[in-house]
Amino acid sequence: MVSVVLHGSFLVYPEVKINKRKGMVISMTVISTTAITDWFSSSLADFGAKLQMVFVEEDRYQQMIRGFLNTLQITAGALGVGIIIGIVVAAIRSSYDKNKESLKLRGGVGYHILRILNLICRFYLTVIRGTPVVVQLMIAYLIIFASSKNGVPVAIFAFGVNSGAYVAEIFRGGIMSIDGGQFEAGRSLGFNYLQTMWHIIIPQMFKAVLPTLCNEFIALLKETSVAGYVGVVDLTKAGNIIAGRTFNYFIPLFTVALVYLALVVILSWLVGRLERRLRRSER
Amino acid sequence: MNGNVLIEVNGLKKHYNKGTVKALDGVNCVVHKGEVLVIIGPSGSGKSTLLRSLNLLEIPTGGSILFDGVDITDPKTNINLHRQKMGMVFQHFNLFPHMTVLRNMTIAPVKLLHKPVAEAEKKAMELLTRVGLADRANAYPSQLSGGQKQRVAIVRALCMEPEVMLFDEPTSALDPEMVGEVLDVMKELAREGMTMVVVTHEMGFAREVADRVIFMSDGVIIEEGSPKEIFESPKEERTKNFLKCVL
Ligand SMILES: Nc1ncnc2c1ncn2[C@@H]1O[C@H](COP(=O)(O)OP(=O)(O)O)[C@@H](O)[C@H]1O
Ligand SMILES: [Mg+2]
Repeated sequence: MVSVVLHGSFLVYPEVKINKRKGMVISMTVISTTAITDWFSSSLADFGAKLQMVFVEEDRYQQMIRGFLNTLQITAGALGVGIIIGIVVAAIRSSYDKNKESLKLRGGVGYHILRILNLICRFYLTVIRGTPVVVQLMIAYLIIFASSKNGVPVAIFAFGVNSGAYVAEIFRGGIMSIDGGQFEAGRSLGFNYLQTMWHIIIPQMFKAVLPTLCNEFIALLKETSVAGYVGVVDLTKAGNIIAGRTFNYFIPLFTVALVYLALVVILSWLVGRLERRLRRSER
Repeated sequence: MNGNVLIEVNGLKKHYNKGTVKALDGVNCVVHKGEVLVIIGPSGSGKSTLLRSLNLLEIPTGGSILFDGVDITDPKTNINLHRQKMGMVFQHFNLFPHMTVLRNMTIAPVKLLHKPVAEAEKKAMELLTRVGLADRANAYPSQLSGGQKQRVAIVRALCMEPEVMLFDEPTSALDPEMVGEVLDVMKELAREGMTMVVVTHEMGFAREVADRVIFMSDGVIIEEGSPKEIFESPKEERTKNFLKCVL
């Protein structure tokens, strides 16, 4: 198509259509370029004013930053709690699977202790993975820690306990994937079961599951967006509050979405790099 | 003779699947201090099960094992302490892939015997020098050849200063040209007076190094004696047949 500029301030789009009944139709669309720039600059100024109103007035951007930091804090804290729970649960579960036969033969109370611990772990995994995280969060805030005023530690606890169940299964898969000869080598040197786990199996397991663990971290980051249910001003809640206060939904909610997206894209990129690095070191 | 018995195995049984598989079916034997005991026999005869029972990597379903006069099959004995005195070398090396050679060798003495790191490393370097691998101290296992891995596995076990070394087919996973270097290390160890129990298919090694040879089949000891007795004048039919196949 040809565009002809008239007087430097008009754009003309000639358009040729072949119409069966009317024959050839030539239509001309003439747009004032000044109109476009006017519209553009006015809406830009408008947008700027809205941004100003949404984020700058009453220092509302600070609320966003606080929300963002709370989101990071809850995610990191929950991941820490989740990893600790995950290691313990995975160690108990895989220890039971691996050693129940020999412990039964060896007799003593060891077998029964391990069997009960294993049952507790399985109960935990079933309950946590069988109920929504929001419900767990509200139970933690409104029932277990009913006296707590500060939602952030409660959210860290609830998301940590939740994430621990998923991390435990990731770790258990990792432990199962380690060659049994590694256990035997550790035990034959005189390490007990826990020492073998700690010095020999878990470091190898971590390397094997690191990419999967990072993906759990990314999922957790997004899951914490329901922390607002228990009075925590996280990133999502901050956006929501600002939207309610300013009657502008577009800017705060898209900002929130963009921040999550940016975090996830960055983290995924890091995971990808990590995966490539690990693959290279295996060779 | 009784004074220098290190390990005494009495009526050892290991049954699987409710007794339908009898990996060991009443094994009696002794290991004397300073001797090299070689266990031979066809595949599936229970050699590995017997060896692995000696440090309770397999829990027997019957019988007892006395180590230094202590019944280690008794649930009340602390098996971890006894395992520190029994080095084990596996067919597939089982080096720790996430640690350097040096760390593979020092982690157990440092964590279990509470040796200072410097002292443990000094001892490890001495051993590495003796097996000709001092220059690989900071390599990772994946950077070593099979023969080098197995030599490291042997000196890793030696770092705990064990009273006995257990070998389960230490050369079976090696390329033929690397078998010799591992056997040489084992021969030197034998010369120094280390007590060794060796499961192997290397009949040349058995003949040359063994003080006593045990022939196993179907979970029981068929015959035992000096290498000369076993290899040159076996009494049992099954021993003769086996030796006909492997020699
Ligand atoms: N976990 C197990 N379950 C059932 N049978 C087993 C198990 N481990 C070993 N066995 C059986 O025990 C017997 C002895 O095995 P093993 O000691 O490994 O023999 P060897 O080392 O002489 O080749 C074999 O018949 C084997 O199939
Ligand atoms: Mg075997």
